[in-house]
Amino acid sequence: MSETEKNIDNVKVMVIACARSVNLEGELSGLHGRNLSGVDNAYVVQVPCSGMIQPRMIESAFNSGADGVIAMGCQIGDCHFREGNKFCRERLLGVRPPMIKKTVPKNRLKGLWMSEVQVNDFKNRVENFKKEVVEELKLEVKKA
Amino acid sequence: MISVVLTKIVREGQKVLLRIEDILNKILGSEQNVLYYHGAIPNFFMWMLFLSGLLLFAYYTCTLEAAYQSVEYITQKIPFGDMIRGIHRYAADAMMLAVWLHALRVYLTDRYREYRIIAWYSGVALTVMMLIIGISGYILVWDERSYIIVKMMSEFLGALPFVGETLSHAFINDNVISNYTMSMSFFLHAGISLSLLVMLWIHYMRISRPLVNVTWAIGCLLAGIVLVVSALFPATSGPEANFTVEPTYFDIDWFYLWIFPVMKAVGYPLTWLIVLPALVVVTILPSLIKSKDHEAANVNANKCVGCKLCSVDCPYEAIYMAPRNDGSKFKEIAIVIDERCAECGLCVGACNFDAIELPFNLSPVVMDDIRMALEEGAEPVAA
Ligand code: SF4
Ligand code: SF4
Repeated sequence: MSETEKNIDNVKVMVIACARSVNLEGELSGLHGRNLSGVDNAYVVQVPCSGMIQPRMIESAFNSGADGVIAMGCQIGDCHFREGNKFCRERLLGVRPPMIKKTVPKNRLKGLWMSEVQVNDFKNRVENFKKEVVEELKLEVKKA
Repeated sequence: MISVVLTKIVREGQKVLLRIEDILNKILGSEQNVLYYHGAIPNFFMWMLFLSGLLLFAYYTCTLEAAYQSVEYITQKIPFGDMIRGIHRYAADAMMLAVWLHALRVYLTDRYREYRIIAWYSGVALTVMMLIIGISGYILVWDERSYIIVKMMSEFLGALPFVGETLSHAFINDNVISNYTMSMSFFLHAGISLSLLVMLWIHYMRISRPLVNVTWAIGCLLAGIVLVVSALFPATSGPEANFTVEPTYFDIDWFYLWIFPVMKAVGYPLTWLIVLPALVVVTILPSLIKSKDHEAANVNANKCVGCKLCSVDCPYEAIYMAPRNDGSKFKEIAIVIDERCAECGLCVGACNFDAIELPFNLSPVVMDDIRMALEEGAEPVAA
């Protein structure tokens, strides 16, 4: 499938999420429980803390066919492990090593900082992010 | 059983807190969200207390004959003396209140046990120290309230089996209240205040980069509140202590002096029987919830290049760099101190060489999950 055919019905989004942020209990479906219920083509993989998200995990998501990647942790200021989400955010902003490779499409990479109780808000944002990704892909195709 | 109930309480409490947090974030923004400074706020009040205490100390005379008058002099004659006294009193109340809220928050957010156990124990100790500081502070004023406090306190201590006798003498020598009582109280008040700093150092042990300062805005707000309260409700003394009259009533500072009404109501032995077990329960609270299996992060010596990034990022000071002499071309290797590790994975996120891993959450597994989720996703999945 070439990039030009990407639209809201087929963009794929990978959310690498802190297990303590949005409570996804009962919100995940699919064979291995990695599909986000209610949002098509959105997948979730959880880690103990967003601070564990290595730049390589983000790269591998893009390499495996994700059109957009979200790194999600708790609200900034509140991290169970004190500084995980802060560090993750700084990596996304490119100010904390290890750095994310230049080849990673930064405009299709997003940080989300939400708490356990914000499930619905979270789903809306993923849905919106898909739209942003489609727009971004269109721009990228134009530029190319 | 007890473990299940406690876990449930913590979980529900956490949800309530998160909702409050959410609202505050929307109003104040996360930078100024007071909830995120729950540990720094008591600290702020402590410095207010040190400062106002130092100023009061300049004019205070620590003898039975002169103490009361010197406090009156400070309150009435020294410019802003009444303000400083008020600040010293209300910042103390505010500090105790802030400490309880801080404790409640760490409890409800489940941030008080396992790798945080030292912070919990030292926190309990800090609170007890604050109580002693508060009670001895009320003796220094030497009004009728001080007199009752000394009397009841020495009787209360005396009610303890075995050590009671000795302890009550710590306050009153040979059953007479003398200047010794005053200097002892002053020693407890100022001495333990200074030891708070030592205990705080223990409180912060194993915490990298503790958040100890509030923002300017929050600081001004908190100081403002204390100032307004001290202006509206000036701190005053009762009548001077007088050994011939037995006072019957005094104002109670519920943050520090709550134990006296309890003693009055149930008697000394029963008060001990309430206070001591309560203290024990609070202290062992962290052990009442079963911990899950613990497997600390571990370092792959073949891959570690000694870049230090993991040890910088570890939020619990669980990683140190050690020189290596195993023939590797790298000078240092990261070492994890197992019992400090929280299994948070921050070190994994910081390592660019796949050299450090959480046994229960291997990063290659996470990467596989990511790949498989995206590949499987191509097929239709049943909801
Ligand atoms: S998982 Fe790593 S960063 Fe977290 S406490 Fe353990 S050693 Fe430190
Ligand atoms: S970040 Fe990785 S390579 Fe660097 S010191 Fe730690 S374990 Fe070693």
